[in-house]
Amino acid sequence: MTAPKGYVAVKRYDEIPEGGIVPFRVDDDERILVKLEGEIYALSGICTHEYAELAEGELEDHVIYCPLHGSGFDLKTGKVTSLPATEPLPVYDIQIVDGVVYVSREPRQG
Amino acid sequence: MAGRRSCVILGGGVAAYGAAEALRAAGFDGPVTLVSAEPVVPYDRTTLSKAYLQGQKTVEEILFKPAAYYQELGIELRLGQRASAVDFDRRELLLEPGERLPFDTLLITTGAEPVRLRLPGFNLPGVRYLRSLADAQALREDLSRAERVLVVGCGFIGAEVAASARTLGKQVTVVDPLPVPLAGPLGEEVGAILAEVHRRHGVELRLGQKVAELRGHRRAEEAVLERGERIACDLVVVGVGVRPAVALFQSSGLPLENGILVDEHCATDIPGVYAAGDVANWWHPGIGRRLRVEHFDNAAQQGAAAARAIAGDPRPYTPVPYFWSDQYDLNLQYAGYPGPWDQVVLRGDSAAPSVTAFYLRQGVVEAVVTVNRPRELRPGRRLVEARARVDPAVLADPSTDLRALAQSVRQAE
Ligand SMILES: Cc1cc2nc3c(=O)[nH]c(=O)nc-3n(C[C@H](O)[C@H](O)[C@H](O)COP(=O)(O)OP(=O)(O)OC[C@H]3O[C@@H](n4cnc5c(N)ncnc54)[C@H](O)[C@@H]3O)c2cc1C
Ligand code: FES
Repeated sequence: MTAPKGYVAVKRYDEIPEGGIVPFRVDDDERILVKLEGEIYALSGICTHEYAELAEGELEDHVIYCPLHGSGFDLKTGKVTSLPATEPLPVYDIQIVDGVVYVSREPRQG
Repeated sequence: MAGRRSCVILGGGVAAYGAAEALRAAGFDGPVTLVSAEPVVPYDRTTLSKAYLQGQKTVEEILFKPAAYYQELGIELRLGQRASAVDFDRRELLLEPGERLPFDTLLITTGAEPVRLRLPGFNLPGVRYLRSLADAQALREDLSRAERVLVVGCGFIGAEVAASARTLGKQVTVVDPLPVPLAGPLGEEVGAILAEVHRRHGVELRLGQKVAELRGHRRAEEAVLERGERIACDLVVVGVGVRPAVALFQSSGLPLENGILVDEHCATDIPGVYAAGDVANWWHPGIGRRLRVEHFDNAAQQGAAAARAIAGDPRPYTPVPYFWSDQYDLNLQYAGYPGPWDQVVLRGDSAAPSVTAFYLRQGVVEAVVTVNRPRELRPGRRLVEARARVDPAVLADPSTDLRALAQSVRQAE
């Protein structure tokens, strides 16, 4: 089974717990997968404020909150929902093929 | 028909930034002008005692957005311009040195200013306060030459400056009249934990003591405590609290009382005049009392709430106030309603430290503080938001899953 072009395989869909945040790496890039209400989201794993790993963060109402100073990022768009971060979090596209979650190498534009 | 309504935002802090962004996001399409006494676009003031002071960040890195961003939003910046008074009858702001700036709506976000100590010797060079970027630049410069730093006051600013100065390898002494630092906002239990952290990092604490005077020839060289102890120093940093910046409204007719009085929509008694951030003393309908909060998150959110009200979409502003403080590699976060509590419940390891503290009043969780335990902050906050009553033994029990607890409380609502 080959990955869709520009995508990398991360994990089986079934292995990701509901409400879970799973860290993974693409090359040296830290990222996270989130499963919420069955939907999968992929985002950068490092807060855009200072250095904090979002895998240690908290989910609430489709927002992921940074563990250090409470910046919030919309899971779907990466947009900042609460400061101190002012730059959006890069988000990645998802494809699920044969029960495997693939994530785009490059962040979604705009 | 007259032109579109204009809005003037007075102030250049995070409340102003939050408001500027939210005004446009909420569809306000009239002219917007941001007037700030500071010569720089809004920036993250919270770094001034931390990364910026330690030389780990440049000015560019602490700006929320570059000037071009405001241009894109169609917001005129009037930087380095101080308002000296306001005429609410003519609806004009008086700018130094003599210009008049008319407004239809005015959003006041003048923030707060450090309380100055009027003790002997505190007018000597070498005595610093920390609020603005200019203050921080001067302090950073002084710090690079100093060896012995005396910090007067162990509130958040004092504690953070002490931590940064120690991190830079300076000898640091902190004097505070209270027996444990930050006992007011955090209680003695958490205050004692923080005191121990500072001691372990080599800070000399003089708690339960007051400075009587500073002495020196050309600069502050020595502090004399009330009990007689003398402490040699080549730099003094004072952090003894702030007060709302309302001097320009003293005789303007604007209702003032511990800041500017506003309702749950950030509106003052004067039509079209709003206030937000450190300067605003607002009615919180969720808890049925007034609050004035001196922290970043409130300023950002309240600025945005005021902007939505101005844009015609008022929603009651009823947050659970939140703040953080970073000292050394310690991360502290707070979510809750300030005010009296009758019980503090600790969970975790005070020595490490890795602790969560719950503040209860008559059995209700009023606030939560995490020290190096960030994952418990938001579940704790949900308990506060739900005004939950939880058995203290359950809160203290390390095997209690706080997320599940918060979930069950939320569902029971
Ligand atoms: C060193 C430091 C560290 C901090 N660290 C933290 C932290 O870690 N976490 C946290 O939650 N909070 C922290 N705070 C508090 C936080 O920065 C404030 O709560 C926040 O800045 C308040 O924002 P504001 O916009 O209401 O007011 P301010 O940021 O004070 O901004 C007020 C603005 O109004 C301008 N102004 C005032 N009067 C006039 C006038 N007459 N004419 C024109 N302009 C005027 C000022 O120049 C300033 O630009 C810290 C504060 C300081 C000083
Ligand atoms: S590092 Fe994420 S909010 Fe500061």
